[in-house]
Amino acid sequence: MDEAGEREFVPDTFEEYFRARRDAVRRTAFLLCGDWHRADDHAQAAFVALHRHWRRIRDRGALDAWMRRTLVRAVVDESRRPWRRERFTSEPAHASSVPSDSDAVATRHVLVDGLRSVPPRQRAVLVLRFLDGLDVAATATALGCSEGTVKSQTAHGLAALRTVLGDALDDLRPAG
Amino acid sequence: MTDVDDRELGALFRAAASDSGAPPPRFDHDSVVSASRRAAARRRAALAGGAVALFAVVGVGAAIGLPSSPGHDASTVAAPMLAPNPAAQPDARLDPGPPADAGSGQAAAEAAGAGAPPLGPGTAECADRQDRALRTIVEQVLPGVAGAPEAATTMECRPRGERGINVEASDGGAVGLLSVQYLPPGTVVALVPGAVSAPTASGGTVIVSSRASEEGAPAPFAGRLESTVAFLAPRL
Repeated sequence: MDEAGEREFVPDTFEEYFRARRDAVRRTAFLLCGDWHRADDHAQAAFVALHRHWRRIRDRGALDAWMRRTLVRAVVDESRRPWRRERFTSEPAHASSVPSDSDAVATRHVLVDGLRSVPPRQRAVLVLRFLDGLDVAATATALGCSEGTVKSQTAHGLAALRTVLGDALDDLRPAG
Repeated sequence: MTDVDDRELGALFRAAASDSGAPPPRFDHDSVVSASRRAAARRRAALAGGAVALFAVVGVGAAIGLPSSPGHDASTVAAPMLAPNPAAQPDARLDPGPPADAGSGQAAAEAAGAGAPPLGPGTAECADRQDRALRTIVEQVLPGVAGAPEAATTMECRPRGERGINVEASDGGAVGLLSVQYLPPGTVVALVPGAVSAPTASGGTVIVSSRASEEGAPAPFAGRLESTVAFLAPRL
């Protein structure tokens, strides 16, 4: 659901939308929950829900927004269940294992571990803003909150991420 | 955070979410569609169960309430359940008016239909389905349909809430396919030869048709299509 890929994409069929968006939805779900298997579960559940509502959705240009809301709601709801409740920590997550080069897999491990330590709503704001490339207004619309809330959640989320990762966050940034 | 910082963070997040090293997806289009249909089937089953429970509660309530009902009108609700079986009267003359054999039952049923709101459009889902609510009403006018097996149907999409049943009916020696369709207001279709239609109380259209299983053989309920439509129209 990267922003560049969704511009003016209005699919005619569910299959067309699925084939165009499956990987992007998986990526968003992965950063939201931090686990590929759960990401698959959330992404599949969202697509199933979309398929069931497909004929009733009039604005096909708003499908990405609908999927984002569904995914975020599912992940946040899951985090509230006692048996899946996530633990927040102030311990640096693998900070010592940060490689000097920005290898994608290493980057994933470090950032995903760090994101796991960020509260779910703040994490959702960070993912929508920095992975999906939404601006403050679009993020607020996707999450059903005010722009002020998005701004404060972004600041708090980045602060939490920086607290957990420390200098590792700066080390991970691509050169140039 | 500056714009440069935002761009850097964007690149960092995209790198973290890249597909390299990620396991292959555990679902595809077909599995999503299958799961969606299973979920829809479960929902329909739950709704059907709820409807059965509601009918049971209403039936028990009516059975308890009838003996003490002082008025004549109140008894007409349950009268169709006690009406003689029209199918057992093969010489019924239905076209000119109410059939003599089913007179009291049909009159009572019509009274009940006039008092109850019309059924109207159903759900707008695509499914391989027979409409249970419609069938319940059809069985009131054609008791011979009760227990008749449902005819095989393919996946049907009824985006405007159309209703329909298709049953493999037998009527004496006549065997074939009996179809009843309810079309919501504004829906227009071409009638198949021999079909009978009428406007309904909800503004839609009811269509009844019957086709023999073998060419040249008599179709089931062929002589009762018009009276069936007349019975259904105020109830749909």
